Amino acid sequence: MLSRVVVEAAANLVASRQRSALALLGILIGAAAVIAMLNIGAIARNETVRQFRQLGTDVLTLRVDAPSGLGSFRLADVEAVPQEIPAVLDIAPFVLGGATLLHEGMTGMGTQLGVTASFASVARLRLREGRFISAHDRFELYIVLGAGLAQQLSAPYAPVRVGSQLRQGRYVFTVIGILEPVLQSPMMPVDVDGTAFVSIANMRRLMPDPQLSMAVARIHPEADPGAVMAALQRSFAPKLRDATLSLQSAKQLLAGMQGQMQLFTLLLGTVGGIALVLGGVGVMNIMLVSVAERKREIGVRLAIGAAPGDIRLLFLAEAVILSLAGGALGVLLGLGGAYAFAGASGWQYIFSPSAAPLGAGVSVAVGIFFGFYPAVMAARLDPIEALRSE
Amino acid sequence: MLELVDITRSFRVGPGTMPILRGVTLRLEAGQLVSIMGGSGSGKSTLMNIIGLLDKPTGGEYRIDGQDVLQAEARALSRLRNRLIGFVFQSFFLLPRLNAWRNVALPLQYRGLPEAEAKRRAIAMLGRVGLADRVEHMPAMLSGGQKQRVAIARALVGEPAVVLADEPTGALDPKVSQEIMALFLALKRELNVLILIITHDPGVAAQCERRLLLAEGTIAEQPPC
Repeated sequence: MLSRVVVEAAANLVASRQRSALALLGILIGAAAVIAMLNIGAIARNETVRQFRQLGTDVLTLRVDAPSGLGSFRLADVEAVPQEIPAVLDIAPFVLGGATLLHEGMTGMGTQLGVTASFASVARLRLREGRFISAHDRFELYIVLGAGLAQQLSAPYAPVRVGSQLRQGRYVFTVIGILEPVLQSPMMPVDVDGTAFVSIANMRRLMPDPQLSMAVARIHPEADPGAVMAALQRSFAPKLRDATLSLQSAKQLLAGMQGQMQLFTLLLGTVGGIALVLGGVGVMNIMLVSVAERKREIGVRLAIGAAPGDIRLLFLAEAVILSLAGGALGVLLGLGGAYAFAGASGWQYIFSPSAAPLGAGVSVAVGIFFGFYPAVMAARLDPIEALRSE
Repeated sequence: MLELVDITRSFRVGPGTMPILRGVTLRLEAGQLVSIMGGSGSGKSTLMNIIGLLDKPTGGEYRIDGQDVLQAEARALSRLRNRLIGFVFQSFFLLPRLNAWRNVALPLQYRGLPEAEAKRRAIAMLGRVGLADRVEHMPAMLSGGQKQRVAIARALVGEPAVVLADEPTGALDPKVSQEIMALFLALKRELNVLILIITHDPGVAAQCERRLLLAEGTIAEQPPC
């Protein structure tokens, strides 16, 4: 019985194909918007997590702010932190500056960090070649380059390699290491790919008044970042005098960003939902026109013994088929749109397995909701009036 | 057997009521071909709607094969219409998107018969009305006479107690009208079914074995031709 109703409903829709196509288009756009928005939301969330994954979420950043600009740690105070607060496994203070480097006629501009040897392990840097700055070469004119900066400085005939000589101001640095490319982390104040690393002592040569104003710390994965941050504040308060310590936890930042992303996804989904509701109104409109045009057919069906429920089912089936077909095409279009968006923004595409059942379910719900009223109108027609209609 | 006893029907018009049927009493047997004639406004359509279970009278009794059909509620009324009544309309009223056999099978499908069985019976009935070679044709591909044959097959396929034909030859030329009347005569004998023809055409009424005249809301028997 149901299969016959479905076949008949589909045939009716095909017979008025232009009108059906218009109603279908409304649902298609709505469903595509919902699926694309939810999928893009999921992609954005994934991208956020991916950015954190490389650096890890067991990371804190510390910054000293003096009343007039950046303040400065004492190196010894920072290096004493892991002994004072056992939850801090390692800490790497650094000086932030800018660098203009020359190599074989190529110029590279980037950020420059004066670091200790621990920076590589705390920031989880991986070397493509060579090694990182060590405690033994504090005064050597050694430099480590981020992947992007190394590429910027490479001449076609003379790529930057370990051992290459780079000029910076009055100094000539020897490249001792080149890093693997990394995603920029929201926790790092610099783009590691575009950074040149030297020892803190060398930063004193390059800058008139270098400030050891920042540090990155790795804490125990089980530790409560809030408690560690409070302990750090207590520890540094007497040492910093009138400067203040700002702290940021990767876990808290990630939680905040994920919360924002969820809100973002909800907003996008709502926009898509509104489009879908408008599509549903289109289906209702088309179905009401169809009922008005097919009054005599309804009268004939009622006269030969169709129950009002049979008429209701037929028109409801037409609305649901329209919505389901629009929904199915909308899911494909929405996923395609999300794929194109991910490609265009350089993000990693992730397929949402819930998209198809969600799209189908929402479309059927829209079809039933907006098809119900026209179907009831059809079923309530008086057969005598319906047979009289032209 | 169809039995109407003192059927009245009036309609509300403004503050008052307008009587259309003023006490129609009628007893019709299976296997008869009966015509009801009457002028405009005589109540033909109202009587047909009551006999066809599309409308309820204001008063009176109505029984088909001894069953009181006026007590039925909406859903039961649909079932009774499906089992007891077959309709033939002046303008055929075939469903344009269904082919001939699907149009004929429709009453059986609403009865809940499996599609294969409904198709078998529909094709057999199309054979009986002389359209064995037109079963897959869409209504648009059929002539007026062929469309009315499909409509007659649709009315008869469910083996009803009564076939109500409202001006069945009104849209057809005289030759085809004659063929349709001949078909009615053959089928009422063959299927032992009561066929009630509402017409304003004395020529059509003359071919029926009983002729009834509806005037001013009451019915009178006409002498045989």
